[in-house]
Amino acid sequence: MLPVLIIPLTTALACYALRRTRWTGYAGLAGAVSLTVFSIPAVVSSISSPMEGMGGMLYMDALSAYMMSLVVFLSLASAVYSIGYLEHEQKAGLIDRKGVGRYFALLNLFVFTMLLVTVANNLALMWIAIEATTIVSALLIGLGVTKRELAIEAAWKYIILCTVGITFALLGIFITYYASTAVIGTLGALNWTVLKSIASQLNPATMKLAFIFVLVGYGTKAGLAPVHNWLPDAHSQAPSPISALLSGILLNTAFYGIMRFVSIVQPSTGEMFTGSLLIIFGLVSIGISSIFILVQDNYKRLLAYSSIEHMGIISLGFGIGGPAGMYGALLHILNHALSKPLMFFASGRIQARYGTTRIEKVNGVLSSMPLLGILTFIGALSLSGAPPFNIFISEFTILMAAVDRGLWFVIGTFLFFAVMVFYGILSGFGRMLFGADQKAPHPWGQGVSGSSGENKTESGFWTICSNAVMIVMAMLIVVLGLTIPDFIDSTIRASIQALGVK
Amino acid sequence: MKNWIHVFSVIDFISAGILLTAVAMNALRRLESCVKAYSLNSWLLSLLVAMTALVVGETHLYIASLVTFLSKGVIIPVFLRRIVKQMKVTHEVEPYISNAMSLTISGILVAIVYGSLKQGIFVTGFSRNVLQISIAVIFIGLFIMITRKKAITQVIGLLFMENGLFLAGFSLTYGMPTLIELGVLFDMLMGVIILGIFAIQIKRVFASADLDKLTTLKG
Repeated sequence: MLPVLIIPLTTALACYALRRTRWTGYAGLAGAVSLTVFSIPAVVSSISSPMEGMGGMLYMDALSAYMMSLVVFLSLASAVYSIGYLEHEQKAGLIDRKGVGRYFALLNLFVFTMLLVTVANNLALMWIAIEATTIVSALLIGLGVTKRELAIEAAWKYIILCTVGITFALLGIFITYYASTAVIGTLGALNWTVLKSIASQLNPATMKLAFIFVLVGYGTKAGLAPVHNWLPDAHSQAPSPISALLSGILLNTAFYGIMRFVSIVQPSTGEMFTGSLLIIFGLVSIGISSIFILVQDNYKRLLAYSSIEHMGIISLGFGIGGPAGMYGALLHILNHALSKPLMFFASGRIQARYGTTRIEKVNGVLSSMPLLGILTFIGALSLSGAPPFNIFISEFTILMAAVDRGLWFVIGTFLFFAVMVFYGILSGFGRMLFGADQKAPHPWGQGVSGSSGENKTESGFWTICSNAVMIVMAMLIVVLGLTIPDFIDSTIRASIQALGVK
Repeated sequence: MKNWIHVFSVIDFISAGILLTAVAMNALRRLESCVKAYSLNSWLLSLLVAMTALVVGETHLYIASLVTFLSKGVIIPVFLRRIVKQMKVTHEVEPYISNAMSLTISGILVAIVYGSLKQGIFVTGFSRNVLQISIAVIFIGLFIMITRKKAITQVIGLLFMENGLFLAGFSLTYGMPTLIELGVLFDMLMGVIILGIFAIQIKRVFASADLDKLTTLKG
């Protein structure tokens, strides 16, 4: 488990040391590849038998392994994508060579903090790691700030709102510590492993209070409405590979904190309390985001609101609970972590080509960049929840779980908003994908309004590496829509068991 | 021999001081005085921890007290003062609402906290005042954050919230294990430094230290 934490740290140092040379991107890539290689044995072995490290400070079970493999996969994908992306930004004069070095150093630190969240056994250590993700990613959003003023605004909002939110989460952790020291004294009173074994003896009233604080705190970070205001700004202003990481996995690591917390709160307070709170937060998130998706005219913000919607669905599935609801929620985490980064990667390319993030200014992506257009189309269909793609499967699983529990009001509301989202996403991206490409040379010779976009042409290298990443992700999306491979199925089942659900 | 702490209710006095420095934020007009109020607040906080350490006699509390003093009482105030100087802002705080109004509202906040935590679920070795004061300080910090225009005052509000949080932690459980305490402080320090950097960027790019200008991103 330790190499998994050490590799990103050393890569970050190496990238920083190499910031004056051209090699930072490749150092970052080498780090990401070796991280992938070294994480596999840790992931595989911890699925079957949990392991501890650092004197009980670190702990890894199937759920940690599940989240960790997502972090590792996405960090590899965005490292590959970033090399080309930054080369392009450098050519466009948006960032200098030292900035690239800083970018890769921060990217690896960011990955390190997220990995630390997944393996922290200690409640407070996890809090520290989650707060560290905020700090590092705020720097990544505001990178090269002098050139993009909106990015400063986004980064400021992000760090202020998330820090305030997470402060409340720390209060919740203090209260938990108070409750657990009353049972076992101070030794190990903050460790999941210990807390889980004494969970039923904790004072229910105290734990209820603690859970509310933690839900609000980590919920802010996970992008649950109504404390989501930072999310659309941060996601739309960050560099595309960072948006992909923020959306695909950062939100989920915060939600992972909530999941772990639920597993120690539930035995004393009962399922009703945590479940109904999560369902309410989930439905409110889905509702609010669906309205904003319908009226959105900026495609990166559209994707950001779609993240809020999907976090809402995950929260809903987890709140419905039971093995089926949790299965749906965990599967949804995986599906969302594939589809959303794909879309952010694609939107980075579209933004580079058209020089705008406004939906109405982009036309005919399918005809100007056929491969990218098809990949975007797959991603948009998947995000909107169309069958037979992956997200449909997990949403359907969650709906079935709700039917089993007889939560008809929840089902009705969810379906209503899901239809709105379906229309909003497909109409937004439909407008971008279809139609004539205004930038393409006209059939009979003269260019039509294309001259302004000449300096925005893509570099070939970026096209190749981003296409490679996106094709892999699109293939996974299609495969997961058709079948759930055995190893994913068994990992999710083991994760549900790790959360203590029979 | 440590009777004097109980006899003179030292802990109550110190925590009352912590509350007062937080309330005073509402009336202070100059950024420098706000920074001073914050450092006074942090010194009182670390003094309170030291007193608790005397009563309980645990070494990790002495360490916590020292670390609190160094980070919150020395490093952060010095850093904030440098930023205030560097930004060359007008040194007025410029709240959205009048001082009288803002004092009244924080008074009401304190009253609400006292009222709602009266028959609380928490039983600690501490005087009950400490927990109530800590929650009140958290809310006052939040209130200051949302009613001031300057970027730096938002940071100070956040810092007050965190001081309140630490106080709450102490009153509930005599603090966290030292390693955790250090990690939390480190995170906080980093956060403040980065917020400071962004505040300077805001000043440079928008030619103003007011957050009024940050309203482009909506919907």
